Formats: sequence, C-alpha cells, structure tokens
Amino acid sequence: MHFFASFTGSMTAFLIISVLIILCAIMLLSFRKVIYMALAIGGVFIGCAAVYILLGASFIGIAQVLIYAGAITILIMFAIMLTNHEAQEPPTKWSVKNIIIALGCALLGVALYLAIRHQTWSAQGTTVNQSSTVSNPVAIGMALFQQYTIPFELVSLLLIVGLVGAVILAQPRKEDEE
Amino acid sequence: MPTLSIPPQSLLTLGVILFCLGLFGALTRRNIIIVLVCVELMLNAANINLVAFSRLGASPNLDGQVFALFTITVAAAEIAVGLALLLAFFRLRQSSEVKDMNQNKL
Amino acid sequence: MAAYAWIIPLLPLVGYIFLLLLGKKAPEGFVAGVSTILVLIGLGLSLGVFSSLAGTDGAVTYTWKWLSIGSHNIDVGFQVTHLNALMLVVVSLVSTLVFLFSLGYMHKDERFSVFYQYLNLFVFSMLALVISPNLLQMYIFWEMVGLCSYLLVGFWYFKPEAALAAKKSFIVTRIGDVGLFIAIILLFASTGSFDFNTIFQAAASGKIALGFISGSGLITLTAILAFIGAVGKSAQFPLHVWLPDAMEGPTPVSALIHAATMVAAGVYLVARLYPLFELSQPALTVVAWIGGVTALLASLMALTQRDIKRVIAYSTVSQLGYMMMALGVGGYVYGVFHLMTHAFFKALLFLAAGSIIHAIDTQDLFDMGGLRKKMPITFWTFLAGALALSGIVPFAGFWSKDDILTATLKSGHPVLYLFGLIAAFCTAFYIFRVFFLTFAGKPRDEKRYEHAHEGSWVMTLPLIVLAVLATIAGFFNSPLNGNALEKYLLRDAGDAVVAGIPTTSPAYLLGHTYPANVGLMALSVAVGLAGIGLAAWRYANKNREITVPTGEGNFLYMLSYRKFYLDEIYYAIVVAPGKVLAKISDFVDRYIIDGIVVVVSRLVYVIGLGLKYTQTGQLQTYGAATMLGLFVILAIALFRQGGVF
Repeated sequence: MHFFASFTGSMTAFLIISVLIILCAIMLLSFRKVIYMALAIGGVFIGCAAVYILLGASFIGIAQVLIYAGAITILIMFAIMLTNHEAQEPPTKWSVKNIIIALGCALLGVALYLAIRHQTWSAQGTTVNQSSTVSNPVAIGMALFQQYTIPFELVSLLLIVGLVGAVILAQPRKEDEE
Repeated sequence: MPTLSIPPQSLLTLGVILFCLGLFGALTRRNIIIVLVCVELMLNAANINLVAFSRLGASPNLDGQVFALFTITVAAAEIAVGLALLLAFFRLRQSSEVKDMNQNKL
Repeated sequence: MAAYAWIIPLLPLVGYIFLLLLGKKAPEGFVAGVSTILVLIGLGLSLGVFSSLAGTDGAVTYTWKWLSIGSHNIDVGFQVTHLNALMLVVVSLVSTLVFLFSLGYMHKDERFSVFYQYLNLFVFSMLALVISPNLLQMYIFWEMVGLCSYLLVGFWYFKPEAALAAKKSFIVTRIGDVGLFIAIILLFASTGSFDFNTIFQAAASGKIALGFISGSGLITLTAILAFIGAVGKSAQFPLHVWLPDAMEGPTPVSALIHAATMVAAGVYLVARLYPLFELSQPALTVVAWIGGVTALLASLMALTQRDIKRVIAYSTVSQLGYMMMALGVGGYVYGVFHLMTHAFFKALLFLAAGSIIHAIDTQDLFDMGGLRKKMPITFWTFLAGALALSGIVPFAGFWSKDDILTATLKSGHPVLYLFGLIAAFCTAFYIFRVFFLTFAGKPRDEKRYEHAHEGSWVMTLPLIVLAVLATIAGFFNSPLNGNALEKYLLRDAGDAVVAGIPTTSPAYLLGHTYPANVGLMALSVAVGLAGIGLAAWRYANKNREITVPTGEGNFLYMLSYRKFYLDEIYYAIVVAPGKVLAKISDFVDRYIIDGIVVVVSRLVYVIGLGLKYTQTGQLQTYGAATMLGLFVILAIALFRQGGVF
C-alpha cells in the first residue's frame, strides 16, 4: 500500500472526494424513492467534476458540472415527474439472480483491480497542458478545432439527431389521442 | 502546477468501484429511470479513467480529455433519447419498469 | 444449294418460337397455317438440296469452332451427305402432310396451339439431327426428339394410360441412349473427335486403339453400343415394348414420330455410322439377327391385336426390323430405301387409321365394319397403303422389301431369309385383317356407323398424296429406272477419295448391291397374296361369323395376343426386382436414415426446450449474462498472463 505512504495535499483531497463519490453511489443504490436517487446521482456527478479539476482538466470539470449536474440531472427529474413520480423502488430482494449479479460484479471488480495492481505504472505524469503559455481550455479548443474537427462536427450532428429524435419520440401519437 | 502526487492506481480503482456499482444497479433496479442513471454512473467511471490517463498515462496528452468531452456529449444525447423512449413507453403501458419491456410488439 | 441446308431446320424452330409468343389462345387455322407453310418452304428447300447433290460425290460440310478442350476442338455446323439429303426430304414431306392433317384431327382440342408447338419443336430437332456433322451435336438432337416424343405421347396427360405410356417410352429409350452415349465417349476418347469423317478415317486406318482394347475390338464394342441406342430408338427387340404403348398419343403424332421419322432415327444412326459397322463383322451380325428376330416377332404379335393403332404399331416395329436386317447383311442402300418407302406407306396407314378413329371414335377393330360406303377416300388410300405394306407388285413396299429379302439370301443368311418370308406372310395377313374388319362386311356398331363421315379436305388431301407416293415410290429404285436411288446413295462413298483413303478400303464401301431376281420376287409376291387370301377367307367370308375372339384354350393365340408375355417377363425380371430394391431402400430410408434424422431433430428440440427459458425478453438478465461472460474472458486473460494472483 505504498500510495498511503505520502499523504500530500492533493492526495488527501482526492481521498475525501473519492469517499464522497462512493458514498453517493451507494446511497443511489439504497434509496427507495426514485426522486432521491436522482439527487444522489447529482452528488456523484459533482464529485467527478472535482476529480477532473484536481487532475488539471479544468475544462472537462466545468463541462461536467454544466452538462451532467445541471442538464442531465434536471432532465431525469422531469422524466420522473412526467411518469409515476410516486413510484418506489422496493427494497433489494436478495433473490438468486440478484446474488449472482452482485457476486459477478464483485468478481469483475476484483479482477479489474488485480489487473490494475499487476501493471507497473510509469513515473508521475508531467504536465501536458499547463507548462506552456496556453491554459487548459485553450489547449482543448486547439485540439478540437485542429486535430478533431471532423469528430467534433459529427458529435454535433449526433446531438441534433438526438434532439429531434427525442422530440419525435416523446410527442403524443395520433392513435393515443383518440 | 506541481507534479501530482495521486498515484494512477487509486484513480483507476475509483473508476472500477464506480463502474461495478453502476453495473450492479443497472442489472438489478426495476425502474427504467434508475437503470439509465446507473448507466450514466458507468459512463462517468469510464470518463475518470480517460482523464486520469490523459494526465498520468504512459504518454500523457490531451486526447484523453477530448475523448471524455465526446463521451459527455454522447451521454447527453443518450439520456435525451432514452428518456423520450421512456415517456413513450410509459404512455403506452402505464409502467416504467424494465421487466415490462419484454415484447417487440405493441 | 446445300449451303442453305441450315435454313431447313431453322424454319420449324421459328414456327415454334412464334407460336410460343402467340400463346395458347391463337386461332386454330392461323396456327396450323403458319406451321404448315413454314414446313412446306422447308420441303421445297429439301428438294432443292436433294437434287443439287445428284451430280456430285461426297458430302458438303460447314463447321464452326464451338469449344476448345485442351487440344481438342468441338465443332458445330451441318453436313449434307446424300443420305442426309434423302432424310431431309422424307422428314419434311411427312411433316408437311401431318401438319395439314392435324388441323382436322386436333380440331377443337383445348391445347391445339401447344400441340403445334411441340410438333414444330420435334420437326426442328429431327431435321437438325439429320444434318448434324458430329456425334455430339447428333446426340443433343437425339435426346431432343426423345423429349418431344415424351411430350407428344403424353399430350393427353389427363388419361392415366397416356401418362404411363409417355413415361415408358422415355425410360425405355433412355436405356438404349446410355449405350449410345458410352459409344460416343469411347470414340471421343480414342480418336479425340466427335466428327464423323475423322472417326471413320481413324477407324479405317486402324488408329483407334484405347488402353488395353485393340482397334478392332473397340470398333466392335462401339458399334454394338451405338446399335443399342438404335435399338431403343427404333423399338427393336428387346426394347420394342414402348412403341405399341406410345399409341396413346394423338394419331398424327403416331404417324409422324412413331412411324416415319423418329423411330427411323435408329436406322439412320446405323446407316450414318455404316463405315464403322462395316469394319466389324460381329457387329453387323448382331444388327442382322436383332433385326430379323424383331421383324418376325413383331409381325406375329400384330396378328391378334384388337386395337387398330396397335396392329400398325407392331407392323412398324416389324418393318424397322426389316431395315436393320438389311443393314446387317450389308444391304445398306436397301435398308435406307425401305426406310423411305416405309415412311410413306406407314404414315399413310396411320393417318388413315386416324381418319377412321376420328370418324367413329373407337380404336377397337370389332366395333368397326362396313365403313367402305361411308368413307370411300379413306378406303381407297388405306388399300394402297395395305398393298404397299404387303409387298404386292407394283406398290412401294414391294420393291424395297423384295430388295431386302434378296440381299439377305444372296449374302448367305438363309435362316434370316426364312424369318423375313414368314414375317412377310404375317404382314399381309394382319394388315388385311384390319382392312376387312374395318371396311368390309356389316357394321358391328350401328350407332357409331351412323355417325361416321369422311373428314374435310385437310384430312383427305394428305391421304391422297401419301397414297400416290405409296404407289409409286418404289420406282425410285427399281430396275425400270436403273436403280437411280441406289446410285445416288452410293455417291457418299466418294468421300473416300476426298479423305485420301483407297476406295478398296472396306470403310468406304457402303455395303453391297445385288441385281433383282425375278424368281425371288415372284415368291415374295406369292407369299403376300397368300396372306391376303387367308385374311379374306377368314374375315371377308359371308359364311363365317365374325365374333370377338376370346382366345380361351388357344395357347398360340394367347401367345400372340399377350405379345409373347414379354411385358410380363420384363415385369418379373426387371420391374419386380426393382420394386424389391425400392422396398429395401424405402425401409432403410424410413427407419434408419429417418431414424437418425428424427433423433437429431428431437435432440435439437429438447435443447431448444431448455434454452427457451433463457429467452425471457428481460433486458437485465441478458445484461447479467453479458457481464458474467466479460468476467470469464477477463479472468482467462489474466490467468494466461500469469503472476496476477
């Protein structure tokens, strides 16, 4: 457990944030009311944004707060309100199926963890985007509009299609009105 | 900015834990909305990995962050369409439970 | 002129395609008119080709390269020899008359147009067969005429007998075709060519050995195999059984295909390959004996048949036997000459029988009688045909049959000569038995008799034309005109000069010729008259009651009536073992093969029953399965890498 050896400031911050994120995730799974769950996921999203900022990816962190914590959480809440918002998730039944799933998830996690531990990692990463004169958002903007122009445009197309598709799908159909 | 003292293992382990929690939720919850939320959780776990590698990987560069940005966009589109589908389904069946989505016909 | 011979078969093909495009509902007169006119043009061209060859020796050949297999070239094209030219005339002439006759006979048939389509296709195939320059092309058309025969015999397929007869004719001739096919393959393997002239040259110069078979052995083998093909097609013993059954087809078909043209294709094949047969005495002996035995047996069977068409069918088998016998004893020109005269008088007899059947709607001889007054034209023309068949001077059959008998005796086959003479007697008897039962005496079925009438001009005109030909065709090759046809046909031997083979080589001597012998002529005429006399005494005698014979207690009668029990014998030795084999196969298939199949299918079913529960439609179950699979793959990958745990 060599990473406990040096408790620097950033490490401490990371540990606190991680614990909060995992706590929120577990709450998300243990709440019974759907609306609380939606609130819990908001916590997870904000925690993730904090991790990004901690890692120096400030633009991603801001985007995470705006899109996930802002837009998506609100969208989910609207969906809950539009459907049966009184719905309660019954307490997790420990049926055979659920036990198998829990076991499988745990095993998968352990396997992945072993794989991570087995790998030897290079020395601490240098700064890729902060050393030079440009800041992180500027560097990302350069990358998006130079190297990733076509994927960027494609993603914008995807968003338009998603928007139109969502409108068409959610729109009441004629036979339903009759 | 000083060199980061967070070891990559701990970042990746956080990703693994989030991913497994999300997977467990997606496979056991009954409400479609919660399943979608859990899928978002898994996507976030993947995003943490991408950003971590962008900073701490073998050859750190900006690609990881750009990918994370794309993932966020795709996730936004996914949740929009997914919720629209949920609304349509709810209007049809008066239910928002995954177990009722077992038929191809109306 | 011979360069245009390819147009002759093309005309009926054009007719076939035209009628096909016109559809089933085309008006009868138009359909028949177009077909007849096209074939009539073909007849004119045939006559032109025939006469253009009169002054020349050898054959006119035009070929184009079709395929190259290794170093071998396969050609297509056409070849006009003197034999081919004669066949062109005979086929076109009979076709034209039958096309005309069918307009009356098939009147108001539902599938009138289809009938003419088939006829056109047949005439095309037959004419193309006749002018084929190589064995492969000939074999293709050989099979096509077989197909047309099948289609036309089974034309009234809704009658079970017709469908059965069509199948029988197809299968029995196919047995012979296998022999021909093997012969063609052997010849190609040994000479590298399908071309007739190449094969003849290789055979004559002895360059034909194949593997361990010697040259002469191979010639005998291929000649006999090809003859098996001819036996099937020309309904020779022992494969003659299909022809009488094929009488279930419409009567014009019987006249065209089963009397004048297709059944003569077997004789034509032997004549076409005659240079090959000439090189093998054993093969010729086989041909002669099969022909002689067929001539005798079939004429004996014809004595007692009650169906008018069957009598004439057996007569056809018998006459084809004569032709084969002539070829076998070396009388090449006589065999071909008889082919020609027979085509005329046998087509006449069939068409006359068709006219009778059309008038009174029965084929049973014992329902007829006294038709002379009602149908004078049919009466007189049938008489001409019967006299020609019986070999009475000066009708056509006399000259050709007498030539054959003379050649048989003079070439040293007294037993075969005796066979031929007995058959001639029987022939005269059975055909006049038909004649008297049909036209003489009192009508035995008054209702049918009242209804009887002569057909329209389209039916009587072909009868008259054929009757004239049956009367005079013999003079084409009589001492009176210096045996003109004989000399014409022998000009084919002139090919030897072209090929550079000395004319003394037996390969290019087309048999032998014999001068007419007045004594033998008189004998055969006397035998024919005796047969007629016996028939007249038995069936045209006012003192003798004509009753339907029962044949009880008369072994010889039953032997003839039941066709020497050959159908029964074939049933016992071929069909019955086949059925046993089929039963065994059926058992194996039903209980063993099917058993395995059923077990496999049940297994799959049971597995499917179990797996069905995994297909719940529950998304999360599928997701769980995917996750477990992912874990297994990951675990395997980590385990293989080692050092993880």
